[in-house]
Amino acid sequence: MSLGVPERARHVGTFRFLSVRLMETVAAWTPTTPEMEVKVMFGRHIWDFAQHADALGRRTFELRQRAQQSFPPSDAYTALLDEVLAVEGTAARLAALYDGLLPAVRRRYEEYAAAVDAVVDQPTLVIVERILADLGRQRAEADRVRRELGLATPGGEPLLARERALPLLSAAS
Amino acid sequence: MKTIGTFEVDGLTLREPPARDACFKVVTRDAEMQEFAPDDPRALRETVHRHMSNEITSLDIAAQCILEFPDAPWELRLELARQCWDESRHVQVLHRRLTELGGHKGEFPISTFEWSITCALDSLAGRLATQNRTFEAGAMDVVGQLAPAVEAAGDPETAAVLQGILADEVHHVRFANRWIKSFVEQDRRVLLKVAGAVRFLDRANAALQSRKGEANAAGRAMDAPEARVPAVNVEDRRLAEFSDDEIAVILKQAGFRSLVQP
Repeated sequence: MSLGVPERARHVGTFRFLSVRLMETVAAWTPTTPEMEVKVMFGRHIWDFAQHADALGRRTFELRQRAQQSFPPSDAYTALLDEVLAVEGTAARLAALYDGLLPAVRRRYEEYAAAVDAVVDQPTLVIVERILADLGRQRAEADRVRRELGLATPGGEPLLARERALPLLSAAS
Repeated sequence: MKTIGTFEVDGLTLREPPARDACFKVVTRDAEMQEFAPDDPRALRETVHRHMSNEITSLDIAAQCILEFPDAPWELRLELARQCWDESRHVQVLHRRLTELGGHKGEFPISTFEWSITCALDSLAGRLATQNRTFEAGAMDVVGQLAPAVEAAGDPETAAVLQGILADEVHHVRFANRWIKSFVEQDRRVLLKVAGAVRFLDRANAALQSRKGEANAAGRAMDAPEARVPAVNVEDRRLAEFSDDEIAVILKQAGFRSLVQP
């Protein structure tokens, strides 16, 4: 049995919250990261996340919620997002985001796509497809900039594993 | 999360500079910059380097506004996010051009003056009035003059880069004008914030700009501040939705010099 409208709206609103938080996290890091090449990459990714949030926010309206409605995730998940925001140092930030959090978020989207009727919820799946493509490009760009700058590479796996153990949706959902 | 602090200059509280690569020498005063005579072979590279640095600062400012004003209307946050991407592309393309011209990042001193002023302000309307409506609009005037001059001097590549950037900047100024008007329509007290931001900017300018005859870091005597005001890019200011009255005031400040569009 695939997810119904209220459950899908909850998921989409939660994904919107995540996208806004990702935009804010990368925005917070931009002025406090010294490397010009990393700032340039962050600038593009801020816009990516903003567009994801906007598209998801238009979809919440179609699912009987307010336009641009966000639903905060579970408290534990929110705490993890806060922890990522607080990471200091360029290499550690890139690892936390591109090797840890984003692959985890990617898996959440894939799980959502597997849990809905592919025809009934096609408008959401079109958005998710675009987001997954962007997440793949972002990872490739992060890898490239790390190679160029000789920054330490991968180290986000523990975060990825921790995320896996957390409930995404809040209890209210 | 660590936050960026403040520092004092002549009784003004300004924001500490954002992070920069170690290769950059960040200076505070205009006179510490290296602005060469137009016929100096380093002049164009320094100009491109300066614009590149200003674009990094614009990216930092737009990003900081997203962070520090989470309750701003979503459509405005979306504009700021788009601006982040635009500014990051500007950095990329200017860095590419700088390299093609034989330069490199960190070759000349840079200033983060625009950040230090804008991010010291506590209202988003004030920041839009300062960064987008004043600094970026001023850059429209400068680039509107510079691009044809560079082309006339035989460098169409740099001119094309600057023209591309100019088109993007028009929208950054336009969305700021639209949102400031919208904020004021909702609450007239926002005008006080905007006026306060403009006064703050004037005081900071007075404290940090070079005086007539003062030598800069390249050893060149600087013109008086009023003589350095660029001709007004009337056409692009109209596109950016400045009113005719506002343009008239700006023209007066510039000694009624306006760019003649080709």
